Amino acid sequence: MDNLPVKNTRKFKTEEHYNNSSSYHLLPFRFHRITSLKEVLVNEIGDFLLVPIGTAKAIITKSFTRNENEELYGDLIANFFISETPIPELLDVLAVRYRTRKSFLDYFTSLHIFVITLRCEHTCHYCQVSRVNKDIDAFNMQKHHINAGIDLMMKSPNPDITMEFQGGEALLAFDKIIYAVERTKVEAQKYNKNISYVICTNLAPLTDDILHYCKSNNILISTSLDGPDYIHNQNRHRPQKNSYELAIDGIRKCRETLGEENVSALLTTTALSLKYPFEIVDEYYSQGFRNIFLRPISPYGFATHNDKKNKYETSTFLDFYKTALGRIIEYNLQGQFYREDYASIILKKVLTPFPVGYVDLQSPAGMINNVIVFNYDGKVYATDESRMLAEMNDYTFLLGTVEDSYEDIFYGAKALELSEYWLNETLPGCSECAFQGYCGSDPVFNYATQGSLVGFRPTSAFCQKNMEIIRYLFELMDSDKRIEKVFKSWIVGRT
Amino acid sequence: MGLSMLELLQLLKRRKVNYKIVDSTIELLVDESIYSVDVLHKCFYWYSSGYDITILRSDIADGCLQVQISPKNKSNEFEADCLISRIKQDLIDYKLRDIVTKETQSIRELIIAKAFAYYNLDTNPATDVSDPVGFNPNHDHVNG
Ligand code: SF4
Repeated sequence: MDNLPVKNTRKFKTEEHYNNSSSYHLLPFRFHRITSLKEVLVNEIGDFLLVPIGTAKAIITKSFTRNENEELYGDLIANFFISETPIPELLDVLAVRYRTRKSFLDYFTSLHIFVITLRCEHTCHYCQVSRVNKDIDAFNMQKHHINAGIDLMMKSPNPDITMEFQGGEALLAFDKIIYAVERTKVEAQKYNKNISYVICTNLAPLTDDILHYCKSNNILISTSLDGPDYIHNQNRHRPQKNSYELAIDGIRKCRETLGEENVSALLTTTALSLKYPFEIVDEYYSQGFRNIFLRPISPYGFATHNDKKNKYETSTFLDFYKTALGRIIEYNLQGQFYREDYASIILKKVLTPFPVGYVDLQSPAGMINNVIVFNYDGKVYATDESRMLAEMNDYTFLLGTVEDSYEDIFYGAKALELSEYWLNETLPGCSECAFQGYCGSDPVFNYATQGSLVGFRPTSAFCQKNMEIIRYLFELMDSDKRIEKVFKSWIVGRT
Repeated sequence: MGLSMLELLQLLKRRKVNYKIVDSTIELLVDESIYSVDVLHKCFYWYSSGYDITILRSDIADGCLQVQISPKNKSNEFEADCLISRIKQDLIDYKLRDIVTKETQSIRELIIAKAFAYYNLDTNPATDVSDPVGFNPNHDHVNG
């Protein structure tokens, strides 16, 4: 027996092995303080461990030993934070997981926005783009532009495409929408594409004919609801001061004809909204919505290029967000399903191995990779916000016109130039940030608010908002297991 | 890395950073063998919104780097103690981040290269991938 060779297996190692404090190798991970007691470790593929403050230091300086905390050691090995071999045995799994995280890139552009008209019958004070002009055709998309836009859309490698009609008020050019949908139906068959149609509308011009056309073509309706009437009507000016009534009536009609799941509402947060977090959350709930997207104030327009003001706006928004989120969580704790969408996007990235197709929160950025905008005048922009900048005579994100070739628009010099800035892995500040994989990069936002495509994280409203929201979500999950359960229910859907 | 992990740990424990305050400028003197220029740049990047930051090679102490930190708005009250202890903590954190970045650079490159090389769209994970909430990969669109 004495002569038997010592056999090394993965499971059983000699005693010295475990006493040797630096017998493990580090794998790529980052860390961030969550509270005064806890920090989070996040690895390259987005898996996290919430641990007491000081753990990262102990692991990195290799003063941490297996004997000290077997459970943590096991977690660190199993979750790819450390490895017992210089190259982890499951390297291929890590690579596949990494690939999965970036799989939103696999099929390239999905969302194609057609700005079908700039005309609108509202005069909302924050709106940069609409025209109340009665000269019907000057601000509508011309048929030859629609045709060219559809041709480009068919060239997308993506088999599943969303065609979204925006305005102005898209329903004011409903004849153009019909033309575009009918043409797309024929082309989609030729090119074997599945098309989802969406119309963004304030619902004021809604008619029964429109509804029936939407019904027979499975067109989804995305409308706006800013809260109770005293907020909505204040935000959305109409001579008759009845925007809210029209929206609520429209939502009801859409639900009756199209079905509840085919109507969604988007909240535009304005300075006025920030005073009414409870009222807005309650309004959505009482109107039958079981989700709400608490979007921050858009920087395009009033908050540009003023660091101090941006910072103030962002911290006021964060207070609003936390209060509103608390209210939504309360509904859930009382047994109602009610989801906040921004948190859900982040939580899905945190709690599952899968990416989320949300254009404002991904790296590489959503621009071009996931979204493209065909403007009413035939110009092609990288994102919806890019065309807002163009309305202020800034054409930085103009990629060309619908008459240009697919290659020139999607892989051309401009796209290449922008690609230098669309990875947060390579941006100053973000490169070492633990939240990198949950966050994203938004060169258009950087440019609009800070005048540079790279941006400057210490004063970036985008960074301030995301860093705090992500930190706060971890804090909430850690503070109360019931909240963690609520968050998980938001990811898997209505239970 | 010039120091062993044990030496480094001891140094970090003692938080060896010397500083003096001249007018409203803090002058830090740090040992370059502990805190490289990279670490200083990454750390002080986050201070550069409120402070003017200058990083120089020290002409008084060999192997040391000097960091000058002065508030952009001179009328701002200068809470040196608070600031110094925040800086010390951040320096340690950025040093730790630097260790991970450097030590894992090649493994990170390997993961990314493998992830995107020879990729076939139908490839599925060869091993069980942990799925903490039992999420269905086919429904991956929350929004947008
Ligand atoms: S923007 Fe801020 S929170 Fe997001 S990855 Fe970059 S540094 Fe982190």
